[in-house]
This record gives sequence, C-alpha cells and structure tokens, in this order.
Amino acid sequence: MLTPQSIQNKKIIVLVPTHNEGSVLRQSVEPLLQQMPLQVVIIDDGSHQPAVKQVQGLPVVVLRHKVNLGQGAALQTGITYARKANADYVITFDADGQHAASDLPALLQPLLRNEADIVLGSRFINGHSNSVPLFKKGILHAARFINYSFTGILLSDAHNGIRAFNKTALDKISLTENRMAHASEILFLIKKHRLRYKEVPVTVRYTRYARQKGQGGGSAIKILFDLLLHKLFK
Amino acid sequence: MNGIQLLLLAGVSFIVLYFITRLKNRLMDIVLLTALVLCAIVFILWPETTNKLAALLGVGRGADLIVYISILTFWFTILKLYRRIRLLEQLFTEIVRQQALQQPEQLSSGSINEPHKDTVVPKDHSV
Repeated sequence: MLTPQSIQNKKIIVLVPTHNEGSVLRQSVEPLLQQMPLQVVIIDDGSHQPAVKQVQGLPVVVLRHKVNLGQGAALQTGITYARKANADYVITFDADGQHAASDLPALLQPLLRNEADIVLGSRFINGHSNSVPLFKKGILHAARFINYSFTGILLSDAHNGIRAFNKTALDKISLTENRMAHASEILFLIKKHRLRYKEVPVTVRYTRYARQKGQGGGSAIKILFDLLLHKLFK
Repeated sequence: MNGIQLLLLAGVSFIVLYFITRLKNRLMDIVLLTALVLCAIVFILWPETTNKLAALLGVGRGADLIVYISILTFWFTILKLYRRIRLLEQLFTEIVRQQALQQPEQLSSGSINEPHKDTVVPKDHSV
C-alpha cells in the first residue's frame, strides 16, 4: 500500500468541481482531507450560493467561475491551477458524494509505480457494479461502445469522474469540451498523446441525492451531439 | 404581376436596403448579396425559368428545386453558426477561467469564525 515514504515530497492535488451541491460538498471533501497529505482544490462552477461558504474552516483552495460553464470547463480550470502549482499527481473527484476517499491510494498506486500516466476509476470491475441502477447501466455500456468507436479504447466504464494523472498526463490533458463530453475528450487525448492508462476498481455510491443530480438519458444525447461537433470542428 | 410577386419583391427590396445601409465597406458581401438578389428577382418575375432549371436537374417543379437548395443553405448556415458559437464559448471560458485563477481563495482550518469577505456582515444599528 501507500507508504508515507512513497508519497513523501510529492505534491498531490485533488480537484473537486462543484455546482450547487450545497452541504453535500462539505461531506464529500472532509473525508479527502483525512486521507493523506494532499491539497484539495474546489472549483465552484458558478453556484448560486458561492461554494466557499460551504467549506469554511477546511484547509482548501476555492476557485470560482463567475458563471456556470460546465464540469469539463471546471476541471480544466483546476488542471491549469495544478500545473501552475507544480503538482506531481492530480486526482479528480466528484462533489456529489458518489466517490469514496478511501479509493485514492488504489488510484495513485499505478502512478507511483510508474505503470501508467493516467488511472481511471471503474465501477464495473471486481463486482463493484451491484448497486448501479439498471437504466444507468445500460446508458453507460452504450457510452463505452460509443467511446470505443470514436477512440478505439474500450474501457469497462464510461463517464466515471474519479481519475488520477501524473505530470506527463497533466501536461497533455487540455479539455476544450466545457460540458460532459470532456469524459470522452480525455480518451481522445490519451490516444492522441499515447498516454499509458489503467483502470482500477472504485466504489460509486448511488445515494438518493446523487441519483437526482446525476445525468439521465437526455444528457447522453447531448453528450453525443457535443462529441460530433467536437470531431467536426477540431 | 400577381400578389405573391409583389409581396416577394417588396421583401427582397427591404432586405437589400437593410443590408446596404449596414455593409458599407464590405465589397464581397455586397457582390454576393447583389448576385443573390438578382437571382431572386429573375425567379420572381419569370417563375417559369425555375421550372426549366428544375427539369434540367431532374426535379419536378421549380418551387421544389428552390426548397431543396434552401434546405442545403440552411444546414450550412446552422453548421457555421455552431462553429461560431463554439469559438465564442472557448473565448468566454478562457476569460472566466483566467479570472478564477487570479483570485484563488485559500481557506484554512482556522478560518471557521472569520467572516468571509464576500459575506455581508449585517451592520449593527443598535449602537
């Protein structure tokens, strides 16, 4: 497992994009701070109530988009910040309480061993998929194959927001898709820059809150449309 | 001349006037517009020319031919607009991003009791 030595002198930044998460944001961020020495950067993507009010008293950095641009744009703002801050490893983590902070060591492991440049969390390996709602499962599997047809990369999961990058990946990943199509754009960039990638099993919790906030079938069509435009105008 | 011809000619004249007052120094746009308008006037005054053109291209009626061409033009225009919107969005995103990066808020464990600078502290009127 992660020994204190292996991450010693390494700067780890966790990016948490958020938009109107309310008190759930604090519940998502607090467990992160108990994990290991890391810097949490919250990117408030134009929430009505500034997210900074939700995380008072926590040692975090908050960047605020004055207007709502989308999760992809928020992540890229965080990535730019992490580059400037000279981070060694960057983790992306959802603010809606779906991800488990305890998955962080497993996510970092392949990077520390230099086996991959980018590690993607998957809810569908090692039986972590039991609680995924059936409809959601269907959409995600369709998305896997759509991503495969665009990139030639077939993953076991799609649109899972928990990922880890090393410096090499951090330099190459520049997201231009402001909304949810950024998840596929990451795969385009993996392919384009020949980044080494690896999937590790992670837990995704389907709380009632996350189900309400999560994306339904309609957003899948929007993502597909954004992807087509991305390919057309790149 | 029948009613529809008058209506269409009036519409075309209005568009020409509108554009000419706004495109004073853009030669290419004026040339393109003039060509389009001349075509329109010819087709309006002598509709049978569109029928001949349609027959030449294997389309039944001249009006159908015009609809097909309009649909193509419409598609093309929409694509161009999407491209323009995406470019504007990228520009806009970059501005918002730069602004966010210039003002990072570094919170600390000790800041729990300090009012945030954006927080409106109610004025004490009792004093």
